[in-house]
Amino acid sequence: MARRLGPVRGFLALFAAVLACAAGVVYATNYSLWINGRSNTATPGNHADFTYWGPATTAAGVNKKSINWDGYNRISDQNYRVRDALDCYCTGTNWCYVAAHSAGNLQIGYALSLFGGSSRPKQNAVPNANGQCGAAAGGGTQTGWNIKWVDVAAGAGGGSELSNAGSWTTSEPLVGDLKTSTARAMYDHNQTRSKTFYMFAGSKGTLYSSILPGQDDEAVAYHSAGGVSGSGGAGFCNPSDWFCNDLTLGSAVNEGGTAKWANHYVMFRDDAQALNHYANGNWQGVISKVREDMAAFAN
Amino acid sequence: MQRSVVVVLACALAALVVIVVSATSADDSANDSADASANASAANPGNLAGTTAYSPKLATARMGAQQATGAPSAAPLSPEGQRQRAAQLALWQGRYERAEQAYDNYRDTTRYPHESRPLAEHPDQVYPFAAISEDNKLRGANGEPVKGVKLRTTQERVFASGPDTIKLTVQAVDDNGAPLSLRITSASAQSVAEGKVLSAAIHSNLSFTDDGQGADANANDATFSTRLVPKDQGFANYAGTVRVLVQLSANGQTGVAQFDVIYNPDVPATWGSVREAVEAGSLNFYFKVKVLQAGRYVASARVDDANGKPFALLQFNDEVGVGEREFKMHVFGALVHDKRPAFPLRVRDVDGFLLIENRFPDRALMARQAGVVHTSGRYSVDNFSPKEWTSEERQRYLAEYAKDAEQAKDQITRLQR
Repeated sequence: MARRLGPVRGFLALFAAVLACAAGVVYATNYSLWINGRSNTATPGNHADFTYWGPATTAAGVNKKSINWDGYNRISDQNYRVRDALDCYCTGTNWCYVAAHSAGNLQIGYALSLFGGSSRPKQNAVPNANGQCGAAAGGGTQTGWNIKWVDVAAGAGGGSELSNAGSWTTSEPLVGDLKTSTARAMYDHNQTRSKTFYMFAGSKGTLYSSILPGQDDEAVAYHSAGGVSGSGGAGFCNPSDWFCNDLTLGSAVNEGGTAKWANHYVMFRDDAQALNHYANGNWQGVISKVREDMAAFAN
Repeated sequence: MQRSVVVVLACALAALVVIVVSATSADDSANDSADASANASAANPGNLAGTTAYSPKLATARMGAQQATGAPSAAPLSPEGQRQRAAQLALWQGRYERAEQAYDNYRDTTRYPHESRPLAEHPDQVYPFAAISEDNKLRGANGEPVKGVKLRTTQERVFASGPDTIKLTVQAVDDNGAPLSLRITSASAQSVAEGKVLSAAIHSNLSFTDDGQGADANANDATFSTRLVPKDQGFANYAGTVRVLVQLSANGQTGVAQFDVIYNPDVPATWGSVREAVEAGSLNFYFKVKVLQAGRYVASARVDDANGKPFALLQFNDEVGVGEREFKMHVFGALVHDKRPAFPLRVRDVDGFLLIENRFPDRALMARQAGVVHTSGRYSVDNFSPKEWTSEERQRYLAEYAKDAEQAKDQITRLQR
């Protein structure tokens, strides 16, 4: 139920706004950055285009921005779009929450592991049509980006056996990066600069269950969505499956002794086998859980 | 002058907006504030800035004490008002816990710098040159998986440069891992076009054998092996994916094994010797490097203690110019204090590459330095500083997380009145 601001609070708000302008105070703003996965029809660089995810009116974290890369080419030659956005919104006095889906996991992991300690320009959070921002007032640089934490839906940081098996178009450059061996060798996944990656893993997988090991969401298996270190091909499941090692919640070692990557934390495991990989144009699948988390905690 | 006018106008406009908002807009509820609020807060978190002594857990304890002593009682609320307040309270308690977790995790995992870590934290970096082993289900001619038949493959490396060679093996196994009969029909390495870009195709036949010769370790063990040598097999001037396709018959079922190697013919730098120095309470290793191509270099080295126990992972990531250079990697003093490794330390398995931004392939590799490349001197733990890592980056993060926890705590207190 909406309530009107009281006259005293309204006056205080007015007073604060005028005082802030007069004093030239720099305000900090938090942003929620959404990094898409494979097959994106949104306009690259347009941070207001939420076509990949669902209606832009849906709550998905404070000041949400859609960091559209093409979802087709290699992680390495598209990563500049992610770095541009991080420079834009996550430097100076501004801070970010990051949400990633599928191959977007590789994008943010690659940026943090290989560029997370580099000198970044402080920028003004006002992007041009190409998704690049100008210098912040006062300019300057800083080490790395200001990222509070990262939510990952159906993370493909560990690749997918569907890429290994040729289930996806092999001429598509990104598919090469999604091979399990390539995805896992691309960078040190443990090196997140101490940002926690909260992993959300779906398991409503039936179509490719004979190819993907253990539980899956029809595109990635739990070994990837749960941030499990080591080689691909290992099967991890829900506790109800007695014939397969459990993917444990949190950062604990999985049943069978396999560790997760450092700073990776399984926040959601789909024990009900209810959520698949896909947004379906309406924030659906396991993305729905990340959206809920962002709406509640990216404030 | 013009800028001043703009600023004044902007301030006047902001003031007008606030007046309008105060007269007409709704107070944010928990549900709509998540997306609609600008969340503008003062940049300086005040007393919390820069402190590592702040403890969200202590703040929790303070909150509990505050509740026990009795906060001011709230005016009576309608049932709907009570429900909304309870929902808000639950939300802010969740936010408080998240902020507390972020603070604790960051503080604990940055006791040492990001470039000098316990090796146990990086489980898949302990033996980086071990062959990558994978099991994939065999897919038949119809594209469907063949029940009970897996292909167990190994490849020495995914990324390669210059004269690097890559051993590849393939074996067929059943669901229990027992070997099955395998016959290699043909094998080849080929270039892969990137997307819609046309490029000349390169093709080279390969021979996978099980005769115990060359790349094959043991004759007649049903594991077939070959060694890919891109430089000598037609790829000397090619940068991109080299795809190896192996046509085979496993347990009477035909299928394909596939390997991707990402190759760059350039070798951007070469390794030299290593020197060490105890400086500012840490043990620094200086890797001499002859840099042929300037740019951002990423390198890593593993350190075992004198008993062979994996101890530390050292990483280097910085811009480097052409010429005789040194990559400095350090064992942080507090890491020595906390883990008490037996000296001398042994530096092993060093790798590095030139990171090429916005391109594929995104790297040109330096030659791997497998095995022990340097043995340190013997030092007492007293040579090292026990102090935790401090930096602008760390202080910035701790201050922000502490601010978040403090703000959430304030909201909880407000809602409990």
